[in-house]
Amino acid sequence: MIARQAILLRRELWEHRSILVTPAVIALLVSLMAVTGHVVVSTFDQAVDGVILGASVLGESERSGAVGVLMTGISSLFAIAMWILTVFYALDALYTERKDRSILFWRSIPCTDSETVLSKLITAMVVVPLVSFAAIMVTHLVVLSLTSLWIEWRGANAWHLIWSATPFIDNWVATLVVLLALPLWLSPFIGWFLFVSAFTKRSPFLVAFLPIFILPMLEKTLVGSTLLAEALFVRTGQLPLFQGLDTGDLLFYEGEKMAAGQAPTISLLPLLDLSRFFGSPALWLGIAVCGLFVLAAIYVRRYRDDS
Amino acid sequence: MTSLVSARNVSKNYGKVRAVDDVSFDIEKGRIMGLIGPNGAGKTTLLKAVLGLTDCQGSLSVLGLDPFRQRKELMREISFIADVAVLPRWIRVSQLLHFVETVHPRFSRARADELLARTRIRRDARVRELSKGMITQLHLSIIVAIDARLLVLDEPTIGLDIIFRKEFYTNLLNDYFDGERTILITTHQVEEIEHLLTDVMFINDGRIVLQAGMDALPEHYVELMTSAENAERARQFKPIFERDVFGKKVLTFEGVGREQLQGLGDLRTPAIADLFVAKIKGVPA
Repeated sequence: MIARQAILLRRELWEHRSILVTPAVIALLVSLMAVTGHVVVSTFDQAVDGVILGASVLGESERSGAVGVLMTGISSLFAIAMWILTVFYALDALYTERKDRSILFWRSIPCTDSETVLSKLITAMVVVPLVSFAAIMVTHLVVLSLTSLWIEWRGANAWHLIWSATPFIDNWVATLVVLLALPLWLSPFIGWFLFVSAFTKRSPFLVAFLPIFILPMLEKTLVGSTLLAEALFVRTGQLPLFQGLDTGDLLFYEGEKMAAGQAPTISLLPLLDLSRFFGSPALWLGIAVCGLFVLAAIYVRRYRDDS
Repeated sequence: MTSLVSARNVSKNYGKVRAVDDVSFDIEKGRIMGLIGPNGAGKTTLLKAVLGLTDCQGSLSVLGLDPFRQRKELMREISFIADVAVLPRWIRVSQLLHFVETVHPRFSRARADELLARTRIRRDARVRELSKGMITQLHLSIIVAIDARLLVLDEPTIGLDIIFRKEFYTNLLNDYFDGERTILITTHQVEEIEHLLTDVMFINDGRIVLQAGMDALPEHYVELMTSAENAERARQFKPIFERDVFGKKVLTFEGVGREQLQGLGDLRTPAIADLFVAKIKGVPA
């Protein structure tokens, strides 16, 4: 059972190489940007030395805060790419096999439709985030190593500036939690995309996204209410994972704290509130909706006659 | 019950089109059944029903299972190529072998390796890089390496050159068929499989127009090649089909004893292809 699911997951990675290639390309680009960045900055010779000197006398929390912002910035880039990747993957997962008729081969193998659809759901919800996470860690290490080399070359102490103060584990665990929580929170969309991918005869992208825009408009025009629009807005805009604040407020929150003269947040983990996340009825409602869409996708793959 | 496949009053509609119309047949263990019919006759629909890929009315049992509702169990026991070249184009040969080896309890990797060693297919090649013939070779090597009780082949040699087609059927008989296994096969190129079939079934407009063991054909069907004037006399025995060959008349008879036609011309058992044309295009049965 587990061996079968494992090979089905490997199968997804064989077919959808973009799951591995996209994070790798972004990692490479970010690393190249770090190199060019250092080269460009190096032309401002004296100013740079001044900045490095200034940084050296900063306190530990400031130094780690600066590195943390860099790391989180890099992670965000991957998170955005990951979500785009997930959308395209889910829309493609059950569509291409019908389009190229290879579904006839897959159905000649003793794997059930449930097992197959489940492997695609797990790929979208777990495999894609884990691959992104691995790429993030590697990119962090590469970029910080490049920066260290550069700092050493400028004659400063990289260990002191970067490595001694940075809470890598804290940053990475928090990143992993966010990467895994994001698809859970957005799971109704993933379920919907898989369902569209299983039933549509053409252009899954349009079929998936048109209703998301048109239905709220229809509701407003015909019924006068805006329930759908609000639900979509909450779902896409507010991940209830952050302690006592909404995602959108995060920047202001940090800004105010800094303005009040307090130390900037070094640690990310305390910002995350897992009990609030898992206690949120909206999360479970979303997972239930996802479950219904996935069941529908299995049903369509199982019972629809494509001849 | 010794029937591997048993169909009773099986029908299938697509909207108003009746693709399969009240069909009943049995396939016994150890037989090689050829299902022959023109395009759109319902061959593929019938195969799909047997494979549990589509629902149908009536009662259909394959290996004692309901194919549509017990597909997973069924797929462990049978293997099939429904339509040609449906292998995913992105997959590598080695990945495909590894995948099937992991998920199929009856797949023999050693057997597949042995069969593939006879071909020029590279293990690291992707399916999309292979020629059409090679893709079919690959697919067949995998299917034949599955120790299945029933093998279903739908037009297995389409797109292959004649040498490989011959080779395929020879290998199928030598490597796969052992008297225990059962094969259900459809093809347009009737001549090529005629000699290996044990049973034949003609289907037209969703109905079975002929179902017989190959050894029973000479008893029931006879073909008379004769001159125009003798043909006139032979017509009293009500031929089901007539055609002209090199200025001679060829008449096909059903259920007419050879002794009755003796002396009217050359008698022989019709070839499957000719019998097929006679049954499909001839006088309504």
